[in-house]
Amino acid sequence: MTEISNYQNRIELLQGTLDMLVLQALLREPMHGYAIAQVIRSRSGEVFTVETGSLYPALHRLERQKWVKSEWKLTESKQRAKFYQLTALGKKQLNTDHQRWLQLVRAIGAVMEPEAQP
Amino acid sequence: MHWPWERAKESLSEELESHLQMAIAGRIADGEDPAQARAAALRELGNLPLIADVTRERWGWIWLENLLSDLRYALRQLHRSPAFTATALLTLAFGIGANLGVFQLLYAVILAELPIPHPEEVVRIHAARTPFDQSWTVSYSAYQRLRVATPDVALMATAYAEDARLELPSRASIKASLAPVSDNYFSGLCVTPAAGRLFIQADAREGQGEWPAVLRYDFARNTFGSAGKAVGQHMLLNGRSFVVIGVAHRRFLGDITGHAPDIWFPLELQGTGAFAFSWDSLGPGHDVSLDKPWYNQNTIFWLSLTARIPPERRAAVLAHWDQVFRDDREVMAEATADPAVKDALLHLKIGVAPLSENGMRKRFTVPLTLLMALSASIFLVGCLNLANLQLARLNARAHELSVRIALGASIGRLVRQVVLEDALLVIGGSACAFALGRVASGILVRWASNRNALFMFDLHPNLPLAALGVGLMLLSLLCCSILPAVTFIRTGVAQTAGSGARIAGISQTARQRFRSNVLLGTQVSLSLLLSTMSGCFAATLVHWETIDVGMDREHVLIVRPELHQPRYTDHSEMLPELYSQIQQRLQALPGVRSAAVEMCGGIHCGWITALYVHGRNGLTNAQVHGQEDHVGLGFFSTLGIPILRGRDFSPSDTDKTQRVAIISRAYARQLFGDADPIGQWVGYVPAPDDHKFIIVGEVADAHVNGAEREAPPVVYMSINQNPAPVNSIRVRAVGDPRQLSDSVRHALYEVDPALGVSEIVPLATELDGNLGTEKLLARLAGVYGSLTLLLVAIGFYGVMSSRTTRRKNEFGIRLALGATRGHIQMLIVGQTVRILLAGILPGAILSILAVHVASHLLYGSVSANSLVIIAASLVLAFAGFVATLIPARRAAFADPLETLRSE
Repeated sequence: MTEISNYQNRIELLQGTLDMLVLQALLREPMHGYAIAQVIRSRSGEVFTVETGSLYPALHRLERQKWVKSEWKLTESKQRAKFYQLTALGKKQLNTDHQRWLQLVRAIGAVMEPEAQP
Repeated sequence: MHWPWERAKESLSEELESHLQMAIAGRIADGEDPAQARAAALRELGNLPLIADVTRERWGWIWLENLLSDLRYALRQLHRSPAFTATALLTLAFGIGANLGVFQLLYAVILAELPIPHPEEVVRIHAARTPFDQSWTVSYSAYQRLRVATPDVALMATAYAEDARLELPSRASIKASLAPVSDNYFSGLCVTPAAGRLFIQADAREGQGEWPAVLRYDFARNTFGSAGKAVGQHMLLNGRSFVVIGVAHRRFLGDITGHAPDIWFPLELQGTGAFAFSWDSLGPGHDVSLDKPWYNQNTIFWLSLTARIPPERRAAVLAHWDQVFRDDREVMAEATADPAVKDALLHLKIGVAPLSENGMRKRFTVPLTLLMALSASIFLVGCLNLANLQLARLNARAHELSVRIALGASIGRLVRQVVLEDALLVIGGSACAFALGRVASGILVRWASNRNALFMFDLHPNLPLAALGVGLMLLSLLCCSILPAVTFIRTGVAQTAGSGARIAGISQTARQRFRSNVLLGTQVSLSLLLSTMSGCFAATLVHWETIDVGMDREHVLIVRPELHQPRYTDHSEMLPELYSQIQQRLQALPGVRSAAVEMCGGIHCGWITALYVHGRNGLTNAQVHGQEDHVGLGFFSTLGIPILRGRDFSPSDTDKTQRVAIISRAYARQLFGDADPIGQWVGYVPAPDDHKFIIVGEVADAHVNGAEREAPPVVYMSINQNPAPVNSIRVRAVGDPRQLSDSVRHALYEVDPALGVSEIVPLATELDGNLGTEKLLARLAGVYGSLTLLLVAIGFYGVMSSRTTRRKNEFGIRLALGATRGHIQMLIVGQTVRILLAGILPGAILSILAVHVASHLLYGSVSANSLVIIAASLVLAFAGFVATLIPARRAAFADPLETLRSE
């Protein structure tokens, strides 16, 4: 029981950011869960390790909100996998999230480095 | 079964599996050893099922999935314990069903209003009590005067007519109950038609070739197929032709609770003389012609009045009517010589009474309330029983439940599983209960009805009934499931978990034991109440069924000839000869002791009369009023009524000789005290015409109005001196009167082939048929009594079995240490005895109170009925004892080695 709540806590914390990262990863092409994790890891310079325990609940949540849709396809290595694809709604959401993120970064930056302000 | 999420679940596990495969492949591609790669990938992935669980929660339907899996689990659990499931289902079905059945009846008789708009505006008008029957009826002319005086008030009149023979083309004739009503009856009550139209003023026209009739909805449907088809149909009622003009609204069953007429027709049909109407008058000697139409005779009182008056106008309308009715009061007062009665009659004001104040409600309110209370008790007993069984079951599952809690199951989920299991039982039980309740209320109505007149109520399901049903469902769920489950899981489980906590478990079970003892004790108390009441009611019924009624109830047959036909009524002077032939022919039959004719057709059918004694003035109404019957020769010996003084009627008493009368002991005491009545002159009216009859005999009292009623004062006149069609022929048999039916029918056919016989019924059946209330109480209480015994037995068996199972080890040790088997049995039986004693004491107090409350429904004193309490206690104790003996013996005869091995 305690373990479950830990997972939930982590998801709560990461929720907004993780969703945005996943949506961003899917922006160019449909991908399966493993590839999403790999992409986020490599693009972040190995800083973010997306836990499977967070990734899949997030993917299923995004799917339920109709931001992504899924399809079973074969990978290049002939392995059956579930590919996730961004929907129009998802693109809009990504845009909103991205804007909010930029706002957040600017605001935090302004607070943390007041001397940089003109 | 394939639920949508089964597929989604498979898809998810495949997705996670493919992730794992790709992670391994990725690691191998990076140059890792395959075995190591797999281990590392698995480590990285984490707890797969947990991930799947958390992911599934995102889907949003997990609660439904859990619920369904809990449901499946509950069904499996129920299936695994069929005995418990069956007991619970039956208990709930009976417990709730009995309440619903009785409530349905209670509602229909006591609580329901007429299904019309503003029923509170409709009231009975009580103008004056009639001189003899003391009924609130008025003459047709008085009705018309009152109606004309207040044209803006709907004043309706109804009369009572006996059932009629209904003939339809190409069908066997049936009996139909009638309600003669005024033309404004339906419009005044605001009843709407289901088909066709209801009465209008033109329908009251006399001398029509074809009379209009309105049918009751169900009667129309049963007779013609549907309400629509009934309209326009032609039919014969007692030989008069009718056309159905309409069918009343489906829920409208007339304005008298319990008596739903099949056919309504205009009052004016009285003039045809084809129907037998009830009436009262000023008595013989006044200007009354029953054979002529009654509408212009102001001395025949036959109409009951009902009016729709808004409450605020009531006083003004009644005052106005009092003025109009004054002359009718004067007429009515002529009937009595008693100045006090006369004065009271003249000064009485017209009053109103709500429709709900009727005989039915008066008669059944207390019995039905009592039955409702008994039904509630049986429900309570059932619930307590189930609660106890439930606790015992949970105890048996304590180990399993505690292990599950230890493994991380949430308490809420466990309670939910247990409650769900019982919810299924409650729902199943309630479904049975609703069906049972419907059947039960039908049966109850039949039990409560008199033999000749089946009550008819609106027993359609209604909102209060549904509310009660759902309420009982929830209550039973709370009592039998939620409370036991919550208390048990909160207190019981933790301590019994694991063998190390066994000591703690024992101290806990002391409390649990106390709890189940209290439950059992309460059950015993309530059961004692139910058994006592059932015993008392049964004793009362047996008393009335066997009491000495002053007549030979077991050997007399009542034969009802159809003499009300023109060929007999138009030649009444021939009737004495016919009666004599019938008597001789019947007495010649083997097995017949004697036979006689009687005006009265059964029981409670003599008419009210008055006898004034010649030479004595100042007799009060209470003294002169009595019941009259006209009988043939040999009547008293046929009925087995002994002649105390004087003589019987003799063949020499004819319409040419002096009129003679025989009075019963009660009447003689009323008129003459202990003096000898023989030779006294009496008459129907005060002096100067008070010497019409001479009393020639005095007979013993007989309960001619029914076994449960007082023997009334009766004056018997000779039918040969007042020739008229009789309503019954009484035949006294040597043995069982039932066996004579065929030969009697045959003999009557030989005497007069044209004479029909409508019914042949033993006197005992007729007398018992009147005991509706007593039968209802005795039978239902009997059912409850036996049910409750069964429940108590099941309760004791269930609790004691689970207790002995838990104490198996203790008994094993006791036996090993030298206790005898008898000792072990005594231990268990001792517990039962203590519970029984603790339950019987308050139960006895409760029963005495109940007997006190119901004393007027019971025969015999409270102390006599208290004997029943002792008997019921003994039976209850015996049932509990036997139910305990089985587990006790099982415990005592268990092998101690076997039990100790598990230690």
